[in-house]
Amino acid sequence: MNPEKLKKYLPLTEATYYIMLTLIDPLHGYGVMQKVEQISQGVVKVGPGTLYGAFSSMEKEGLIKMVKEEERRKCYQLTEKGRQVLAMQIERLELMSTNGIAIREALQASL
Amino acid sequence: MKERTIRKFKWFWAWQDEAEEDWLRQMSNEGWHLSHIVFPTIYQFNSGEAKDYVYRLDYRSHWKMEKDDYLQLFQDSGWEYLQEMAGWHYFRQLGHPGEQMEIYTDAESKIEKYRRLLAFLSILALPLVISLINLRDPPYDWLSPIRVIVMLVFLLYVYAFARILLRINQLRRI
Repeated sequence: MNPEKLKKYLPLTEATYYIMLTLIDPLHGYGVMQKVEQISQGVVKVGPGTLYGAFSSMEKEGLIKMVKEEERRKCYQLTEKGRQVLAMQIERLELMSTNGIAIREALQASL
Repeated sequence: MKERTIRKFKWFWAWQDEAEEDWLRQMSNEGWHLSHIVFPTIYQFNSGEAKDYVYRLDYRSHWKMEKDDYLQLFQDSGWEYLQEMAGWHYFRQLGHPGEQMEIYTDAESKIEKYRRLLAFLSILALPLVISLINLRDPPYDWLSPIRVIVMLVFLLYVYAFARILLRINQLRRI
């Protein structure tokens, strides 16, 4: 899909970004919550209210899709569109991080 | 000890969901656990051992949700579902010391909850506005009782709107 059209999704919120990271493989809601907490080393937590809303809007926008059901729990995975959006977000974050690191030394010297 | 039941009347406005959560927790701390809400403003409690139950209220109109998936998510993350009342869903979980127990973990999604509430209030406000327009003509003059009542209810709506918008703004600044 045209990257210009996908720009409207950026920047993703921290929660959406982490949820999308976990959905590279099929996963159900509770699995997403656990994995986000684990890979972010406890920094990011996603509550069920936040996750339900994120799932609904991401599914509506075609960023994720339901791929199977496991013990009454729906498993979602990124769509092609979702993967593209996530890749664009990662690129953005890379730039943000490079920009931050560039001034970190000056920042630390002044503290 | 025999379980006792009490009913309490308490009024919370739509923008006071957090005050309601705090009050329910306080009741549980004193050994009164919410059994169910009979009718908005009428709460029934059962007596029991004092527990630190944390209560959380979510707002979601049911015609726009898949309730099974929704409740499964809450249940998996440790939340006990109590009931739904006028679009509000009541959950509780025993408090873990030193841990913030939230169903909404960021400002964006919390704001969305209040937006849904505003959307619902707007739908309700429509008939009010229509009646106000209809009551403009004779035989209703400015001070006819029906007009005054509709006017007061309408003003209350405006106030509720303002309070919820204020709440959204506070969340935005964080």
